[in-house]
Amino acid sequence: MAIKFKKVDFKYQGNDNKAYLALSNITLNIKAEGEFITLIGETGSGKTTLVQHMNALLTPLSGDVEIFGVKINRENVKKKRVKLNPIRQQVGLVFQFPEYQLFEETILKDIIFGPKNFGVDEKTAIERAKNVIKVVGLDESYLSRSPFNLSGGEKKRVSIAGILAMEPDILILDEPTSGLDPLGRNALLDVFYNIHTKLNKTIIIITHDMNTVYEYAKRVLVMRDSYLVYDGDPIELFTKKNIENWNLDVPDLLHLINQIETDLNLKLPKKPRNETELFTQLKAVLK
Amino acid sequence: MKNIVIGRYIPGNSFLYRMDPRTKIIALIVLMVAVFMIPREAFEMMFVGLGLILILLLIGKISIKRVYLGLRPLMFLLLFTFVFQILFNKTGPELQAWTLNYSFLNIAVIVAIVVFWMYTKRFIKAKFIYLILMIIAIITVLNQLTLGPIFATRQLVVHEDALMIGFFIMMRLIIIVTLSTVLTLSTKPTDLNLGLEAVMKPLKYLRINTEEMAMIISISLRYIPTLLDEANKIMLAQASRGVDFSEGKLKDKVMQIISLLVPMFIISFKRSDELANAMEARCFVPGATRTRLHQLFWSRLDTISLVTSIIILIGSIAVRVVT
Amino acid sequence: MDIIQMKNVSFEYQQDQPVLENINLNIKKGEWLTILGHNGSGKSTLSKLLIGLLKPNQGEIIVDNILLSRETIQDVRKHIGIVFQNPDNQFVGVTVRDDIAFGLENLQVPRNEMVERIEKYAHKVNMAEFLNKEPHNLSGGQKQRVAIAGILAMQTDIIIFDEATSMLDPKGRKMILEYMKQLNAEGVTIITITHDMKESVLSDRIVVLKNGKILKIDTATNVLKDQETLEKSNLEMLLPLKVLRYLERENIADEKVRSYLWQLSLKR
Ligand SMILES: Nc1ncnc2c1ncn2[C@@H]1O[C@H](COP(=O)(O)OP(=O)(O)OP(=O)(O)O)[C@@H](O)[C@H]1O
Ligand SMILES: Nc1ncnc2c1ncn2[C@@H]1O[C@H](COP(=O)(O)OP(=O)(O)OP(=O)(O)O)[C@@H](O)[C@H]1O
Ligand SMILES: [Mg+2]
Ligand SMILES: [Mg+2]
Repeated sequence: MAIKFKKVDFKYQGNDNKAYLALSNITLNIKAEGEFITLIGETGSGKTTLVQHMNALLTPLSGDVEIFGVKINRENVKKKRVKLNPIRQQVGLVFQFPEYQLFEETILKDIIFGPKNFGVDEKTAIERAKNVIKVVGLDESYLSRSPFNLSGGEKKRVSIAGILAMEPDILILDEPTSGLDPLGRNALLDVFYNIHTKLNKTIIIITHDMNTVYEYAKRVLVMRDSYLVYDGDPIELFTKKNIENWNLDVPDLLHLINQIETDLNLKLPKKPRNETELFTQLKAVLK
Repeated sequence: MKNIVIGRYIPGNSFLYRMDPRTKIIALIVLMVAVFMIPREAFEMMFVGLGLILILLLIGKISIKRVYLGLRPLMFLLLFTFVFQILFNKTGPELQAWTLNYSFLNIAVIVAIVVFWMYTKRFIKAKFIYLILMIIAIITVLNQLTLGPIFATRQLVVHEDALMIGFFIMMRLIIIVTLSTVLTLSTKPTDLNLGLEAVMKPLKYLRINTEEMAMIISISLRYIPTLLDEANKIMLAQASRGVDFSEGKLKDKVMQIISLLVPMFIISFKRSDELANAMEARCFVPGATRTRLHQLFWSRLDTISLVTSIIILIGSIAVRVVT
Repeated sequence: MDIIQMKNVSFEYQQDQPVLENINLNIKKGEWLTILGHNGSGKSTLSKLLIGLLKPNQGEIIVDNILLSRETIQDVRKHIGIVFQNPDNQFVGVTVRDDIAFGLENLQVPRNEMVERIEKYAHKVNMAEFLNKEPHNLSGGQKQRVAIAGILAMQTDIIIFDEATSMLDPKGRKMILEYMKQLNAEGVTIITITHDMKESVLSDRIVVLKNGKILKIDTATNVLKDQETLEKSNLEMLLPLKVLRYLERENIADEKVRSYLWQLSLKR
């Protein structure tokens, strides 16, 4: 197990002296390889807080988090008994707001910042930058621009590029597709999926898009009000659970299938997981 | 970073919170003048001032720890003025003279002390006091340890004036900073803004745009914590991409701070631009009349507080006249 | 009546790098218009031009019969509210309450009414329990809700939503969309910028931008079925329409299935 949460609680200390509960009693195991996980749940349920723990940017209030064998808890961090840097090299995190992640003068400098810190030499880092900027759908001319004078979606893409260039073992993305245009979103999801299948890496994506969950995820985590309320198979989630209560929705694909099946009196042999499957099944049924 | 309290509002419910911001601002000015009125010669009065402040903190239910945290960034400035006075102010009667002996043994011991201090200071909570203790230890060693060949001696003479003025300036700074911290700690930025605006109204006759000025002051006050948050965010962003803030040598740390400052500047420029846009987009026009969600109410408490601070001012004027 | 007219508008941030070119766009009073387009196509820039945060290099913008200029800008802004793409850029107040109040104070809304509106709109976006919290210390979706409340409370007759629901959970997004419908029914002109094709179905007309130029302006139905135009600007068709296209291509759908899918996709 690469990431282990054991009974983790976390609260934010508000400026009004109140504590805001963000994680309650989270127990969770994530493998180092071969997982494709989506993390979903209502606004403010603690998703961002959870993944920040996986990057050791936050320390649990009680309980402990173990990342690649490094045990992170109040005591260890306070006494500086743990080295956090190796964790950040192995677990890459793309923040929810790209504005929080970009800080260098040029996009090139921003992308090579991570790799250089982890000991990649400048030349290789620049090579990587030239590659990843294309992977996220922008061209090389962007490298010399400032990351602050970009459109929202372009910023998002650059912030993803900066983490991809680090080539971490586990890739965590906090709402990577919000603000991306539809084809860009599909292309990037395919990029993540390819990293997952070709390199057998673990990917964790936070999203509010049920289609992403349904079409890509092997495992889905649902959070509600600081608790982890579901950890399992996406199809089961959408077909068996009462997801309305968790502020979720049925994916477009399932929604359409349900409508077609009831209104047109059809029966598809199997629940299609993506458009192509839907097409081929429909073709068979309608002919 | 999180501990810096200048400009930060901390919710509470004592009389300080119930006071009108106008009163607090005027009282702050009055009390500051009072502090400056006290002449050097009557430096004992500073103890009275300090006592009054302590009483204020006590009945105002402001935690002394908070105020101390506010003063902490100033500690080295304070120490510096004090040391500067001791070393260079040579007026007034001699108070005490130490002979400082320099020998190889002495220097070796001092190096040992410094090394010991560097390695142990991380375990000590009261770092500042520990620093002072170290300085005292060094002086004691220089003064007392006379074994072995001595290749130079020097006199460390402390004059009464140096001690007195050093102390006096320190007290003055502490009192003023504490008072301002009390103001910002207990006043919501919006109220502060309203208060400033009201207090500066008379300046209108000097053709100064008071509302704009109040807005500028309160936004910059509000932006100190925001800038610190910003620094915090950049630190998180850098940490997650491999900058190690907890470890590393001094040189690395300096480099880290520099790599923090550049983006801080760029980002704060960008931020202020965006803030201005946001304000304009929501119909903010500098100088135009606005209605207010928060309103100011003058109560008996305010009259009493104001009268009290004026009495204190009169007291200090009296002290000045007498001495 | 056209409440907004953009005539021949061009804009560039840096010289010789036009971000918008020759935009001609009329928006009717009470209309719901969606702006679609790939990342960096100029949507946010266009919205900033409309409220006068940026000045066109060429062309003119007329809002409610007032020509946008230095002198008139403050009057025009009283008619238009905008929810920015990044909610963080929008917060002025120290608490959620103060932030919602900010716009109202500027509009000189009397205090009693201000208090009422703050309550009302905080409830509308489900943020009533966070009124005393600092807007910067909220989750992404919570920030977006507060940003929306701050603008709704101003009750302007034109509202621009720049990807204002991109970080909301499905239920929260539906709630806000329902409210937009209601506002629109009450006569408020609504301009939404979005990447969510399902959201664009709700609007009357759609503008598609590509590289700073208008690719197509038409009714929502006409734009949404135009696969070629959509794909040119990195957009996709709605799922039922995609299925319909596929079935048509394969020649396996009867009339009933076709019209069913068609109805399904454009249901509001
Ligand atoms: N810096 C902070 N200070 C205080 N409270 C915070 C802070 N950040 C988040 N919170 C609170 O903690 C809770 C969980 O926030 P978190 O950001 O983890 O939610 P989330 O699931 O990522 O939501 P979203 O989908 O809206 O991004 C929320 O109620 C939020 O208000
Ligand atoms: N401040 C700026 N300075 C220079 N160029 C900018 C600035 N802001 C945006 N741009 C550029 O202008 C173009 C249009 O940006 P805009 O923000 O309008 O795009 P958008 O359509 O809103 O995209 P998105 O869907 O990503 O939000 C982009 O190519 C962007 O790089
Ligand atoms: Mg989040
Ligand atoms: Mg935009």
